[in-house]
Amino acid sequence: MIDPYYLQQLTIGISLGMVYALMAIGFTLIFGVLNVVNFAHGEVYTIGAFAGIMAIAAFGPPFLVIVFIVLAVGALAGFSLERVAFRPFRRFSDEASLKSRAMREATLMSSLAMSIIAREAMELLFGSEFQTIDIGYLINKPISLGPVTIVNGDIIIFVVSVLMLGGLQWLLKYSAIGLSIRAVSNNPLGAKYVGINTDRTIVLTFVIGSMMGALAGILVGLYYGAVFPSMGFIPGVKAFVAMVMGGLSSIPGAVIAALVLGVAESLSTTFVSSVWADMVAYLFLIVTLVFFPQGLFGARRERV
Amino acid sequence: MTMSRRTTIGLLAGAAGMLAVPFGAMAEGPVYLGYQLPLTGNTAQYGQDFKTAAEIALKDFNASGKIKVPVEIIFEDSRSDAKEGVAIARKFVDDDRIVAALGDFTSTVSMAAAQVYKRAEMAQLSQTASHPDFAKISEWQFRNITTQAQEGVYNADWMNEQGLKKIAVIAEQTDWGQSVVKDFAEKVEANGGEVVFTEFFNRGLPDFRSIITKIERAKPDAIYTGFFYEDGAQFLKQMQQLNIDIPVYSTSAAYNQKLVELAGPAAEGLFLTVTFLPNSETDHVKKFVDEWKAARGGAEPGQFPAQAYDAVNIMLEAVARAYPDVSRQNVRDELAKTKDFPGVTGVTSFDENGEALKQLTKATVTGGQFVPLK
Repeated sequence: MIDPYYLQQLTIGISLGMVYALMAIGFTLIFGVLNVVNFAHGEVYTIGAFAGIMAIAAFGPPFLVIVFIVLAVGALAGFSLERVAFRPFRRFSDEASLKSRAMREATLMSSLAMSIIAREAMELLFGSEFQTIDIGYLINKPISLGPVTIVNGDIIIFVVSVLMLGGLQWLLKYSAIGLSIRAVSNNPLGAKYVGINTDRTIVLTFVIGSMMGALAGILVGLYYGAVFPSMGFIPGVKAFVAMVMGGLSSIPGAVIAALVLGVAESLSTTFVSSVWADMVAYLFLIVTLVFFPQGLFGARRERV
Repeated sequence: MTMSRRTTIGLLAGAAGMLAVPFGAMAEGPVYLGYQLPLTGNTAQYGQDFKTAAEIALKDFNASGKIKVPVEIIFEDSRSDAKEGVAIARKFVDDDRIVAALGDFTSTVSMAAAQVYKRAEMAQLSQTASHPDFAKISEWQFRNITTQAQEGVYNADWMNEQGLKKIAVIAEQTDWGQSVVKDFAEKVEANGGEVVFTEFFNRGLPDFRSIITKIERAKPDAIYTGFFYEDGAQFLKQMQQLNIDIPVYSTSAAYNQKLVELAGPAAEGLFLTVTFLPNSETDHVKKFVDEWKAARGGAEPGQFPAQAYDAVNIMLEAVARAYPDVSRQNVRDELAKTKDFPGVTGVTSFDENGEALKQLTKATVTGGQFVPLK
């Protein structure tokens, strides 16, 4: 019989991991297509959370309605983000520009800029403190399962993660959009030459990825009851680590890595002070980069 | 180079200050005080609160006619920036009319400005600077906020009276958090209790569940916590999530109506020490709360504005006692003599270091309200 203490820590770790995974899915999807990190994903997550709590404060709709509002706001945020921070760097369609690393990596800066602008704007509008949320909407009602305690939010987040992951895999494998996303991700120039509308595909990827990011934001916001302008930063870092560990473009890999990360953090709190638990993520990042440069689940593949 | 220039300016400012004394004493015009506080920037809400509190205190004082001349306060915006704070301090000490300064908000800015006040020999009274070293800078620094050296001991005795012997302690990983643990733990051991668990966390930690599970394993009788209201709300909510029922005690830093708003029912039964409760029945608290509500469209004042209100009143009393010889030295000396001042944040005296000794009130959260315990 395992000590219930470790069972409880394991449960907390898995639930932490799922929170990271929720964010990592959209993050990895966008990376997979453009091969650059979208630094503004954390702010899309925050915008999703704010949209959700504003809807709650304004007219207190049922939970599912909030989800749809948040998805719509996320889609809009993703669309605008792509337009402002990514599209301008694809305006030259000659081969040299398309292959240029500098052009691609300039979007690192532009997405970082957008993320700073969005965060500062939210701080000006709402202040930097936690927002008050109607307690009835929080998804943290305890459920006892023998020696361990979980909350209803754990179940919701688990179901949503599975749906996201499954839905995305189906979309990528069996739909026309998915086919073009995979084509652009594999070789944007080639995709363009065979007649795929790469711009449209990229916009769609941003819309889908940002919808997932925004949904993650409101779910985690209601899970912890903590919505504030810089809430996207730490999950963003964890999602990034999960993505790198998972092999950069493998979504299931990122999810597994996120779970590993969550469990490692929660179990490490047993042995070291929680101040050091954050170090676990960075340690994993370094170990992965040094010993598994392809990630734990990344297939070897030619990069464009 | 910079150092020597600073020293020169300091010396000049000091000289100007000394020269100013006789003129200040003879003038029949108003007495001036300086107040440095953040009126813009990230911490503007606190500075705006202090300003309102100071205006209330000043209006009442001038209306009372305790001294023949009116007192005026010059407000300067430090934006909670140490460089700004020092510049304002220099401006105040260079202004011959100003006899003493109030502020700043944060310990960092207050301590930076303190160096200027120390050299120029002008009294500085901060309503909120709680860093252990602030009041020790020189005989010119005073504060109107309790430190953990006082609260920790008080709370340790309180828990001892309740028969709570095995205590778990958690606090944020800051200078302040360290002082919460240190002063409390020493007293617990002295009382024959035992600190069975100590841990620090990074401010803003989203998930306390691993720590809470660890605390539960240590099987304490109670948990003593050093956190501010946001971390406090997270901690209490997650205690409830994990179905853990161990009494939680905290410091006055957790006292904020927002804690109850954020944590809801999870905040019920939290024990803490406070120095100010807006729903107190005392006359002068009622008077302050009424005037504040009139100035702020019905909102209740928090602990910080109440501390600012008292700080300004303590300063005004010192000026009144020094009158008619209102020199910088006299105001400082009278300030140091403050004893049993009946403030809204409790009866206050200054010790020899300029530390406020306050009467603390035990409180708990019941029905979404902070209520005093007898």
